[in-house]
Amino acid sequence: MKRLLTLAVLAFLSLALAQSGTLQYNSNASDPLPKEVDEKLVALFMETYPDVTVEHTQVDHEGFKQAIRTYFASSRPPEVLTWFAGNRMRFFANRGALLNLDDLWEENNWDEVYPKGFQASSQHNGEFVFVPTQYYWWAVYYRKDIFGDLGLSEPQTWPELLEICQTLRENDIVPFTIGTRFLWPAAGWFDYLNMRVNGPEFHIDLTEGKVAYNSEEVKNTFNHWGQALDAGCFIENPAAYNWQEGADFFIQGDAAMYLIGDFVRDLYPDDREDAELDFFRFPIIDPSLPVGEEAPTDGYFASANADDPELAKLFLSFLGSKEAQELVAREMGRIVPRNDVDPSLYPDYVQKGLNEIINQADLIAQFYDRDTTPEMAQAGMNGFVEFMANPDQIDRILDRLEEERARLFDN
Amino acid sequence: MSQAIDLPRTVTREQKIRRVQWAVIVVWIGAILWLFPLAGALVTSLRSQEDISANGFWSIPQTLSLNNYQEAWGQAGISNYLGNSFIITLPALFGMLFLSSMSAYALIRFRFRLSRFFYFMFLAGMLLPFQILMLPVFRLSNQLGVYDTYWALILFHTAFQLGFCTFVLRNFMRTIPVSLFESAVIDGAGEFTIYRRIGLPLVVPALAALATLEFTWVFNDYLWALVLVSRNELKPVTTGLSTLFGQYINNWPLIVSGSLLATVPTLIVFFALQRYFIGGLTMGATKG
Amino acid sequence: MPSIFWIPYLALSQSCLEEVKALRHHPLAPWTFLAVPLILYGIWVIYPTFATFFLAFTDWDGFSSLADARRVGFANFERLFNDSTFWKAVTNNLKWIAVFITIPTTLGLALALVLNTDIKFDRFLKISYYLPMVLAFVVIGLIWSWIYHPAQGLINSTLAGFLGLLKNLGFAVDPDSARRIGWLAKPDLVLWSVIGAAVWRQVGYVMILYLAGLKTVDPALIDAAKVDGAEKWNLFRFVVFPLLAPITTIVVVISIIDSLRAFDLVWVMTRGGPFHSSEVLANFMYLEAFNNYSMGYAAAIGVILFLISLGFIATYMWRIVKEEEA
Repeated sequence: MKRLLTLAVLAFLSLALAQSGTLQYNSNASDPLPKEVDEKLVALFMETYPDVTVEHTQVDHEGFKQAIRTYFASSRPPEVLTWFAGNRMRFFANRGALLNLDDLWEENNWDEVYPKGFQASSQHNGEFVFVPTQYYWWAVYYRKDIFGDLGLSEPQTWPELLEICQTLRENDIVPFTIGTRFLWPAAGWFDYLNMRVNGPEFHIDLTEGKVAYNSEEVKNTFNHWGQALDAGCFIENPAAYNWQEGADFFIQGDAAMYLIGDFVRDLYPDDREDAELDFFRFPIIDPSLPVGEEAPTDGYFASANADDPELAKLFLSFLGSKEAQELVAREMGRIVPRNDVDPSLYPDYVQKGLNEIINQADLIAQFYDRDTTPEMAQAGMNGFVEFMANPDQIDRILDRLEEERARLFDN
Repeated sequence: MSQAIDLPRTVTREQKIRRVQWAVIVVWIGAILWLFPLAGALVTSLRSQEDISANGFWSIPQTLSLNNYQEAWGQAGISNYLGNSFIITLPALFGMLFLSSMSAYALIRFRFRLSRFFYFMFLAGMLLPFQILMLPVFRLSNQLGVYDTYWALILFHTAFQLGFCTFVLRNFMRTIPVSLFESAVIDGAGEFTIYRRIGLPLVVPALAALATLEFTWVFNDYLWALVLVSRNELKPVTTGLSTLFGQYINNWPLIVSGSLLATVPTLIVFFALQRYFIGGLTMGATKG
Repeated sequence: MPSIFWIPYLALSQSCLEEVKALRHHPLAPWTFLAVPLILYGIWVIYPTFATFFLAFTDWDGFSSLADARRVGFANFERLFNDSTFWKAVTNNLKWIAVFITIPTTLGLALALVLNTDIKFDRFLKISYYLPMVLAFVVIGLIWSWIYHPAQGLINSTLAGFLGLLKNLGFAVDPDSARRIGWLAKPDLVLWSVIGAAVWRQVGYVMILYLAGLKTVDPALIDAAKVDGAEKWNLFRFVVFPLLAPITTIVVVISIIDSLRAFDLVWVMTRGGPFHSSEVLANFMYLEAFNNYSMGYAAAIGVILFLISLGFIATYMWRIVKEEEA
């Protein structure tokens, strides 16, 4: 009995020991609201586990995308990192850089609370390596007040959208703002047009490298994009701006619409949000096709070389817990994947996003740079930005992308 | 053509003044143009983003304040980044000057077969487009366990700048008359004493000039800081600034304030030691 | 990181120093002085140079152990020569060189000639021109990104203000059109905009070099104000400029090496974009290495960069050898 007790004490001690130490956590939260929530999560964790110190580095969102590659190539990557589900995560998993989280998922019974789709996007070769903690939808955000002044209503079809562009132009308002300095906002346009013109399944095949980029279908997608360019839908010099600067034109009322994720709300002045900010689903182009939407999932993973894997898992189990997810749902307005989080915690606009975008979708895509491989995404998004500047070069651009696709996928 | 030069100098004093003034006016306009970006930056740093967005750059500032500097210094972490820059720059500076003075001494003082080979090796290294070292240096710093520590940058800068410093000091030491060394030898001094008592003191002017230049270079380095250090707490001011740029993406006055703050140390060093900087150029051959 | 210190060296080699004959012959002494510097230099500079060559023939991805990387022969180079981005980067580096050996060199020389005369406030004027030289490239990149900002930046604001003035005078101009110039967004403009920021820094540098060079020239010769227009030009062309030839060589070599090293400005201002319009070799190399983990491919870019600069380095070194032996 005494021996058993000693063993129990020892076991307890070793557990307690496992729960103390220092953990390096790097996150990509840089806009004010996500940054604040990120800091709150860390504070809450350290409150719960006073013996653990989290060395928290916040890197700006774009800088992080660069830096994380260096982290993993180095001998001492941070233990826990924020990242994106899907192929962007698998890029590192493929290289054996990620910590296996099978036991973490099992201990926490997450397979019961995380829907199947999220489980799939958290796995690599059947092993869990990721903890999904939030997602958001993309939509066309627009200025209610400007639309009201000009008597415009939410477009349902492509011609209606082009017509709105024209009306706005006539009133000296830029229809769509966009900032493509860091490329990806252009991919939002490509994804939506491709899904609306060719259907979401074709789109997924394309991102998985199964279809040629210079196919008629893809050319047709760019024809539609070209129509929008011809109609003067876009701001000038998009490549001069990042997405936040793009949002500036929208917030200042120089531009009326923005195809972007719900995170644009983080930048919008709170006191004006109710009166001015609203969103609609990207218009349908071919009604016979299923509807695809973009809802990228963000979350966390840990480095395979973590000094103390148990500590990393402890932090991850906290980040995936109901408590943490409720904080994110309540304070940041992101949708959380756990099905045991009370939906009434969400602000009204999230309810709207769930009802009008997410739940109406036949297929949810992540985003171009998460659905395809990073190398292809880099080449593809450069091509999209080039197309916006030189629409007449589209054949050359698509031929080049096809070469790249063949090199990367046809092996 | 020599005829042209031998022409009698018939230009009157008045004409001379007029012609000089013409060139001087152009140079003055150029100087103002050259200072324009910095002046614009200075004005921007004192204003607020809202003010500039709403009223444009050429509007009369609504308010002028040092708030941006305060925020850049504190919250945005410039003070911390600047501290790191010093922690990296000063030891590297000391290391490279000390080691290169030794190697330069060896190259100039002794006759040995590889002397010239080493000299050209240092010279070639100094001319390299250093980016080509990027991948192996990254890998090496990981293998040596110094990646993401101050040591990675201190060691690399010390080593890489040895090329340039040795080159300069070696050529400078060549101007020391051999008789000086010889007299020391006669006095029975050992080589290290000669190096310390004669070699080193005589190149102090060159060392000072080198220190000024190298301080600026190492302090302003960006690529190696980008490749070798990833933790925010360790970043020098250059990569720190680009982090700040990402974090305050829409706040140009703050970004500009941070940039100007980052420049202060090099400006101080440059102006305080300008004498050495320029003096190093014209230093007499045998003056010590 | 070129140097002003080539100048004393050249001055020395020209002034025919007495040959240092009494060098000591001592088998061990040089090594006690050289050991540490050589070890450091060997580890961090010499070895990496060779390692880059080795990596260029592998498909190393930066993750797996180097021992597992496949030897791929010239595959990286084959891919490189078929890569339009690579050729874009090479062209841009060449354009950079072309600008650098002409514009800052000419301006710097002209400034040095004027500022070498007795004029008032010459110190202030000199400082105005070489102040940018003290700034870090990152700082220059950030400040110029702001200056080039289309909607609010200094240049477009100034242009818009100027056009507004014209409009008030009755000219048919649209002041807002100035705000549409995307200095860093237009593919045909962006490289020149980045080089513009680099030139801003380089002019003062070249000026300092020439000012130092002019100190070695007989002042009577340079006092060109004493002769008239055409004669002044001849004096410059046939007397002063040839005397400055060693400096000019240095300036040109420095300009070329600096052009090939261009990275910081591009990375901060454009990251080579939009769609590689402002790509340069060093940036391309960084992207391939740390963005795509194509370390082998990136090393191949490094090798090309090395080979391009080797020509210039060799020319320069050969000069030094000759002078050393003279």
